[in-house]
Amino acid sequence: MKKEKSPLLRNGAVQSLLASLLCILIGLLLGYIALLLINPAGAGEAILTIVKNFMTYSRTTAQLKYLGSTLVKTAPLLMCSLSILFAYKVGLFNIGAAGQYVVGAGACLYCALGLHLPWYLCLMAAVLAGALLGAVSGVLKACCNVNEVISCIMLNWISLYSVNTLLTKVKEETSPYTYTLSSTSPEAILPSLGLGGLFSKNQYVTIAVPLSVIAAVLVWVLLEKTKLGYELKATGCNKFAAKYCGMREKKNLILTMAIAGALAGMGAAMLFLTGFEQWQCTQSAVPAMGFNGIAAAFLGGLSPIGSIFSSYFIQHITNGGAYVDKTMYSAQISDFISALIIYLCGFVLFFKVALNRWLNRRDEKKGGGGK
Amino acid sequence: MILLLQYMLIFASVLLLVALGGCFSEHSGVINIGLEGIMVMGALGGALMMKFLPDSTSAFVMIVLVVLAAVLLGMLYSLLLAVAAVNFKADQTLVGTAMNLLGTAAATVFVKAMNTAENVDNVSSTIQYINAKKAFIVNLGGFEFNWFMLLALLALIGSYVSLYKTRFGLRLMACGEHPQAADSVGINVYKMRYAGVLISGMLGGLGGIVYITAGVSEWKFENGVAGFGFLALAVMIFGQWKPTRIALAALLFGFCRALGNVYTGFDFLKSLELPAAVYNMLPYIISLVVLAFTSQKSRAPKAEGIPYDKGQR
Amino acid sequence: MEENYAIEMLNITKRFPGIVANDNITLQLKKGEIHALLGENGAGKSTLMSVLFGLYQPEEGSIRKNGQPVSIRDPNDANALGIGMVHQHFKLVECFTVLDNIIMGVEPCKHGFLQKAEAREKVLALSEKYGLRVDPDALVEDITVGMQQRTEILKMLYRENEILIFDEPTAVLTPQEIDELMQIMRNLSAEGKSILFISHKLGEIMAVANRCSVLRKGKYIGTVSIAETSQEELSRMMVGRDVSFAVEKAPARPGEVVLDVKGMTVASKRHNNNAVKGVSFQVRRGEIVCIAGIDGNGQTELVYGLTGLEPLKAGTLTLNGQDITHAPIRKRAVSGMSHIPEDRHKHGLVLDYTLEDNMVLQRYFEHHFVTPAGFLKRRAIREYAVGLIEQYDVRSGQGPVTPARSMSGGNQQKAIIAREIDKDPELLIAVQPTRGLDVGAIEYIHKQIVAQRDAGKGVLLVSLELDEVMNVSDRILVMYEGEIVGEFDPKKVTVEELGLYMAGAKREGAAS
Repeated sequence: MKKEKSPLLRNGAVQSLLASLLCILIGLLLGYIALLLINPAGAGEAILTIVKNFMTYSRTTAQLKYLGSTLVKTAPLLMCSLSILFAYKVGLFNIGAAGQYVVGAGACLYCALGLHLPWYLCLMAAVLAGALLGAVSGVLKACCNVNEVISCIMLNWISLYSVNTLLTKVKEETSPYTYTLSSTSPEAILPSLGLGGLFSKNQYVTIAVPLSVIAAVLVWVLLEKTKLGYELKATGCNKFAAKYCGMREKKNLILTMAIAGALAGMGAAMLFLTGFEQWQCTQSAVPAMGFNGIAAAFLGGLSPIGSIFSSYFIQHITNGGAYVDKTMYSAQISDFISALIIYLCGFVLFFKVALNRWLNRRDEKKGGGGK
Repeated sequence: MILLLQYMLIFASVLLLVALGGCFSEHSGVINIGLEGIMVMGALGGALMMKFLPDSTSAFVMIVLVVLAAVLLGMLYSLLLAVAAVNFKADQTLVGTAMNLLGTAAATVFVKAMNTAENVDNVSSTIQYINAKKAFIVNLGGFEFNWFMLLALLALIGSYVSLYKTRFGLRLMACGEHPQAADSVGINVYKMRYAGVLISGMLGGLGGIVYITAGVSEWKFENGVAGFGFLALAVMIFGQWKPTRIALAALLFGFCRALGNVYTGFDFLKSLELPAAVYNMLPYIISLVVLAFTSQKSRAPKAEGIPYDKGQR
Repeated sequence: MEENYAIEMLNITKRFPGIVANDNITLQLKKGEIHALLGENGAGKSTLMSVLFGLYQPEEGSIRKNGQPVSIRDPNDANALGIGMVHQHFKLVECFTVLDNIIMGVEPCKHGFLQKAEAREKVLALSEKYGLRVDPDALVEDITVGMQQRTEILKMLYRENEILIFDEPTAVLTPQEIDELMQIMRNLSAEGKSILFISHKLGEIMAVANRCSVLRKGKYIGTVSIAETSQEELSRMMVGRDVSFAVEKAPARPGEVVLDVKGMTVASKRHNNNAVKGVSFQVRRGEIVCIAGIDGNGQTELVYGLTGLEPLKAGTLTLNGQDITHAPIRKRAVSGMSHIPEDRHKHGLVLDYTLEDNMVLQRYFEHHFVTPAGFLKRRAIREYAVGLIEQYDVRSGQGPVTPARSMSGGNQQKAIIAREIDKDPELLIAVQPTRGLDVGAIEYIHKQIVAQRDAGKGVLLVSLELDEVMNVSDRILVMYEGEIVGEFDPKKVTVEELGLYMAGAKREGAAS
C-alpha cells in the first residue's frame, strides 16, 4: 500500500482549497450566464468589473482608497464568519450571527450616539451584547433542548425589531438613519493609528482591520492549541463522550455560543464605529452580513485562517458589484453570486468524498497492476 | 375590528400555507430553512403572471394562472434543496440559508433587469399589479374576502387527509422518522423526500403570492418577504408538526401580526403607546418561550436533517 | 437430481473498498427447514443477508429460487420473491402503531386511501394462528421488546413470505422468551416456511436448527447437519481453532470494600417509574461482581448513577470510604473509578478525534499534558499514546494520528480498555465490554479484566451474555425491573435458574 503516491491531493487542506476554488469558479460562471441572459452585450465586461472591484480605477491612489473601503467591510464579515465557524466546530450552527451582529450594532451605536461613550467602551458594549444574545441560545439549547438554529432565527428577528426601536431614539429627524458619528460623537470613532493614511487617506480604515485578523489567529490558536479548544471540540463532536469523561458539556455549549456571539457583536462594532455606515431604523430584513458570514466560513474551509481570505473575496466581489453598468445590470448581481457560492459550499463534503473515492480507486488499480 | 379580522385571516392563510409546506418537508426528513426564499420565488412567479396577463382576463382564469405560476416556480426552486439534501447529502441548514439569500438576490436581479429593459430609467425592483389583484377579492360588506383564504383552508384539509389517511402520508412520515425501516419495506426514501420537499415548494410558493397580495398592490422584491418564511417555521414548530395545531398556531401568529398593522385603530392599544415593533416581535417571543418549555419532549420527526445514505445501515 | 431448495445463493462474492466481505460463498436453504448461519462478528453474515435482501449487489455469483435464477435488485424484489427478514435492530417506526408498521409498504388501499379495517382483521387472524400476541393499536414506542419482535415476525407473515430470515433474534430476549421464540420458529417451519437463523450462539443453534452453514472471515467453511455435529465442532469451524470458552482464573480473594451502594434510586428517562429502585450492594477488592439481567431492566441507569451520568434520586455511594453520592463525573474519575461504557461510539470515544486524543480523554487536564496557561503539550500526549498503543497492542492504520472512526470495533474497544485500565483505578466498571467483538478480542478482554481483579482492584461487570456472566464473574447479582432479585455464586447456579430470576419468575426472599 503506497499512500504517498498522491499526498498532495489527499491532504485535507488542499482538498478544502480545491473545493473552495471550484465553488468560486462555478459561482462566477453561473453569475456570468445570468448576466448573459439579461444582456449579452456587456456581460463579459460586467463580470470582469465585479472581479476587479477597485482595480477598475486607473489611478493607484483611487485603487488604494477603494481597496481600503473593501477592507473596512471585510473586517465585520470576517468576524461573523469566525463566529459561525467557531460554533460549527463545536457542533452548533450559529445562524444567529446575524442577530448577534444586530444587537452588537444596536449596543455600540446607542453607547456612542446616545451615551457619548468613548470607542473602547462602545466596542465592549457590542461584544457584551453579542455574547449575551449568543448565551441565550446556548442556555436554551443546554437547559431546554431548544435547537439552536430555531432559537437563533427567532432571536434574529426579535433583535432586529428591538434594535430598530432602540436606535429610533438616536435617529435623524428627517431620515430613517441614525446620526453620523463624526457630527455627534467623534470620540466613539475607532482610532485609525495612521492606517487610513496608507489607503490614500481613507478615514474609515481603522484598527478594526488588523484587529479582525488578530481575532482570526486567536480563534485558530484557541481551537487547535488549547485545553479549552480540545474540550469544546470534543463536546461538539460527541457531547455524550464529553459528559462521560467529565467535561461540563452544558457549560461548554453556553460558553461556545457566548464566544460566537461576542465575535459577531464585535464585528458589528468594527463597521458601525468607523462611521462608514449609519443604521437604518426602518429595516425590515435582518442585515445579510451575518448570513454572508456563513458563506465566508464555509468557503474558507471552516478554518479561521481560510476565512480571512474567503471573507475578503466575498467582500471584494460584493463591492465589485457596485461598479457594474447600472443601465444594464443591478448591483445585486454580486449578492446573487455570493448566494450561489454558499449554495455550492453545500456540495463540498460530497466533493471531498468523491475525490477520495476516486483516489482510492486509482490507488487500487495501480496496486493491482503492480502485482 | 373587521379590518383586524381580515388582516388576521389573510396573514394566517400565508402562515398556514407555508408552515404546512414546511411540515411536509420535515415529515419526509428534510429541514427546510429555505422557505423564505421559496416564498420570494412563488411571489415572483405570481407577480409576473399578474403583470403580463391582460386586465380583461376573467377573475377565475386569473386566479388559476397566478396560483399555477407561483406553485410552479416555488416547486422548481425547491428542487435546489431537494437535489442538494437528498442526492448530495449537503448540510440542510447551509443550503436553506443559501436559498433564502439566493431567492431575494435572484428575484431582485431579475425584476430590475426586466424593469430596466422596459424603461432605461427604471432601476427599481418593484412590480405593480393593482388591477390584477382585484380578481382575488370579493367584498362582503366591509370584509374583503380573499379567495386565498379558502385555498388555505383547502390546503389544511388536504394536508390532514393526505398525512393521516393515505398511503402516501404513512410512507412520507416513515421516511422522516426511520428511513432505514422505510427502505427495508421497499419504500424509496429518496423519492419520498423529493415529494416532501416539492410539496413544501408548492405550498411555500403559494404562500409567497398570497403574502405579497395581502394589503398591497405592488411589491419591491429587494425586501424579500420580510421574515415570513421564518415565522412560518415558528408556526410549524409551535404546531408540533401536526396540521390542525399548525392551523391554530397560524391564527394566533396571524392575529399578532394583524395587531401590528391596525393597532392604532384601537384606543385601548393606542393608549399603551407600544411601538409597532412590539407586535411584530410578539410571535417570535411567544414561540421562543413555548419552545423553551416544550422542547424536552419535542415531537419533531426523528430523522430530520440527517441525510439518508443507502449504503449505511 | 438436485434437492428441492427454497433459495440458493451460489458462489457469492461481494467486495468493499479494501475488503472482500463475501468470498465465493454458497448457501442453500431447503424448503421447510430451519437453517442456521453461524459466524463471528465480521464474518460476513450481514453482508450475505444484505445481498439476499437486495440491499447490495454482489460482484459475482447468482441467486436461485426453486431452482430458477432470480435477480434481486432491491427489497421490493426480495419481498416479491417471498423473502422477509427480522433485523437485529428492529426496523420499526416508533411513533406509529403496530398495525401501521405491519402494513407499511404493502398498504391495502382504495384510491390511495388506507383501508385499515381490512388489514387489522388479517393481522389478528395471523397473530391467532401462530400464537403471536400483539396489540395492533399500541404505539411501538410503548410496547416491550418481545412484542416488537413479534410485530416484526407478523410483518413477514402479513406479506405471506415463504423464506424468513432471523438476524440474531435472541440477543434481546430472556431465556424463557428465547424458548418461546424457538417454539414459534418450529411452528413456522411446520407450516412449510423456510427459516434462516443467523446466530453466533451455539446452544441455540443446536437446539432449533436442522442444518448449519459456517462462515469465517468472509469465507465459506462448510455446511453440517446438526444431528451429526457437536458444539465443539461448530465452534472450531467458526473460529478456526480450538477455543476454550472457560476463562482461566484462580479463585477470588476478596479484600476490603471498594464500592458501597446503599438504597440507590435513579429516575427513568423512558417512563415515570424509577429505573433503579433502592438497590444496595458492595464490591470488594479482588473480586469480579457481575450484574446480570435482560437488557432494559435498569442496568444502564444503575451504571449512569454510579458514574455520575445521571443524578441519584435517593441513596448513597461510597468509593473507597469517600462519599461520592453527589460528586461530579470528573471527581469520581480522579478518585479511582474507571468506566468502560456500554456504547463505545456514544460515550467511549470521540470518533472524529485521533487515537492519541482519545487516549488522553480522561487525563488531558493533568499537568503532565497541559501547561498552566491552558495549552496542550502535544509531545507528551504523543509519547503517552504511543506507549499505550504498544503496551495494549492497539492496531490502526496510522498509529496515534489515526482517526478513531476508521478503526475496527475490536481495536476501538482495546483503546478504551487501555485508557481506563492505565488510569490505575480502584474500581473498574465494565459494561458489556465484549459486545460485538470476535472471539480473539473477547478472550483478550476477559484476561485483562481478570488481571485487574488479581491486581487487587474491584471489578463491576455488567453483561447481557449469560456465558460471560457464568465464566468471568466471582459473584452474580441479577437485576429485574430495577431491583436486585438474587445473588449467586456462579459455581453453584445453573443458567436456567438465573433465567428464571432474570425473567422475574423467581426472586430471593422479599426485597427489603
